Amino acid sequence: MRSARLGVTARLIAVLVVLGLAIFPIYWMFVTALTPDENLFGATADLLPDLSRLGVFANALADGKVGRWLLNSFVIAAGTTALSIGLGIPLGYAMSRFTFRGKAAVGLTLLFTQMLPEALLVVPLFAVFRRFDLLNSLHGLILADTAFTLPVVALILKGAIDGVPRDLDEAARVDGGRPLTVLTRIILPLIAPATAAAAVIAFFSAWNEYVFAVTFVFDKSLQPASVGVASFIGEQDTSIQSIMAVALLFTLPAVAFYLFAQRYVVSGMTAGAVKG
Amino acid sequence: MPASPSYRVRALSVLALFSVGAGSLAGCSSSPSGSTGDASAKPEAATITIAASTLGDPGRGPALQKLIDEYNASQDLVKVEPASVPYPTFGQTILTQMGGGEGPDLVRFDMPEFEAAASSGLLEPLENKIDAKKLNLIPGPDKYLTVDGHRYGVVFEDSNYGMYFNKDLVPTAPTTFDEFLKAAKDATKGDAFGLAFRQTQAEEAGVWQDIFNYVLGFGGNWSDGTKLTINSPKVVEGLKAYQQLYDANVIPKGADAATFRKMFTDGKIGMELNNGGYVSHVASTNPNLNFSVARIPFPVKKQGALLAPIVTNVNSKHKDADLDFINWLLQPAQQVKLQEVLGASSVATPTERSAASLQKFPFLPALDELTDTGVPQIVEGFGQYTPDIRHVVVTEVLAALQGQQDMNAAMEKAQKQAEDLVGK
Repeated sequence: MRSARLGVTARLIAVLVVLGLAIFPIYWMFVTALTPDENLFGATADLLPDLSRLGVFANALADGKVGRWLLNSFVIAAGTTALSIGLGIPLGYAMSRFTFRGKAAVGLTLLFTQMLPEALLVVPLFAVFRRFDLLNSLHGLILADTAFTLPVVALILKGAIDGVPRDLDEAARVDGGRPLTVLTRIILPLIAPATAAAAVIAFFSAWNEYVFAVTFVFDKSLQPASVGVASFIGEQDTSIQSIMAVALLFTLPAVAFYLFAQRYVVSGMTAGAVKG
Repeated sequence: MPASPSYRVRALSVLALFSVGAGSLAGCSSSPSGSTGDASAKPEAATITIAASTLGDPGRGPALQKLIDEYNASQDLVKVEPASVPYPTFGQTILTQMGGGEGPDLVRFDMPEFEAAASSGLLEPLENKIDAKKLNLIPGPDKYLTVDGHRYGVVFEDSNYGMYFNKDLVPTAPTTFDEFLKAAKDATKGDAFGLAFRQTQAEEAGVWQDIFNYVLGFGGNWSDGTKLTINSPKVVEGLKAYQQLYDANVIPKGADAATFRKMFTDGKIGMELNNGGYVSHVASTNPNLNFSVARIPFPVKKQGALLAPIVTNVNSKHKDADLDFINWLLQPAQQVKLQEVLGASSVATPTERSAASLQKFPFLPALDELTDTGVPQIVEGFGQYTPDIRHVVVTEVLAALQGQQDMNAAMEKAQKQAEDLVGK
């Protein structure tokens, strides 16, 4: 009994340590954003935030620039997520459930796309986007980001669908269900956790994306936050507090999306348990 | 996780190589637009964009924007707007955009990127549009803007590297390397460091600028104009001096330029080698800082110069408008204003410093005197390969700093890799 209690305590401490390691950088960003210039490089670091300087966040948001960056980032990330999931589900389903010529090649091609860094593709993609008038637009960035997230999303969803017993499909078909009905009514609820996880990956990937965003968009009003934060770094001067304040604001919507998606991970797992 | 700056720089270095390659192909089919040789002709109405990393500087950016606003107000036909490109990936981003047939109309480039863009056909030739004699352009730096017989730009900023020192931490400017090392050691105490320089791959271009001063200052050079001399004894000697300072623990290791420059203005750094543009930044950030500038105290009186030309993108649809702005900027009144904006830097034409500037910064003549011994940060004779050679050299130097190899071996490796790159 006593050893069991000790085990729980040890686990609790381990969880708290890991949680602390994960949260500390965020906390440090908050403290640094509120640290006055003269204390930034002191021999001893300020561990507690100077709450009288919270105005730094209001200042960061004052001219609407940061708000616009965040909105652009949200549009790009949400669009990429919707497109990746929307295309990834039928692709994953087809690869999991159907036999067709070139199926192995499709799978290999999806893997192959993940081996190429963005930096290699940005120049040819720039030429293609220019040809189709997709430069300097948010929908262009959504397409570019989706090209990178879709293979990952499709492979995750294929793996999840592989785990759903085919007997369920067949039972639904016996009851007159078409493939689309089987997918939407039977399989999708069962793979909700994987779909939510894939959505989080797609959202974060597009939210943080920098190379395409800085190269494909010229109009300041269309820049996402990843580029906006970098613009605080000057040739001779950088406002560390402003960077930390904006970077902190930059992390919040992504965290909010994760918390939102997490609900579906849990509910999907439960749905699977009941139906199983 | 957001991409780390080092990843971004690495990634963008790769894409810059590709973009320059693409630009070379584009350059094969591009030809100079018809030149009139008449700089006073009125341009068509247009809105053009200018990209300059200086515009993003909190210190100099607003003043430069004010000068651009002055141009916009001076006439009704052309409007110049700043293009927003973050400084950390400025060169690579612009080269990629230009290689893809887009990009800002006007760009203020650093020399390595200028050389790469010029030799790839990404810049508009200006030899028939800029009359150097009539405009009284300073010949010394101006000669570097002609590549393969074509002029591709005019000097926007020519900034000599000097030794900035905080007089509260380093009361007397050192005059020899030994004094420099001693002063750095003496000033390193508590939360202050005697010296600061860049020493991470994430700041490859910055490390190159820094080590340039050590190599030149110890009598070395990356080439003799026809042959690479990266592994020559003088180059290695300069780099060993750089390593000696690194090993002496007198710098805030790991701190990037943004951080240690803030530390300098906060009075936490004793000395820093930087270009003349830094004067404006330091003075505007902390007007009370007790600092001065002197010649870099290395054995040979030779140092790097940040030569930054303004160029016209070959893809620009409004080349007459671009030229109109350049010609306006080269007029004597604007040159004086530009020089005031840029701090201790020189501009394209000879200008007198104002009495107010000289009173505020009495060391300005000392910096100006360095123009004769300033060397643009390119590999002479191999200008277009400078970004690639820079990558090779900086990678090997940093590996030596981290104890993975000695500096002699590092430069032997760099020499071989660089020779493979240039095909000699």
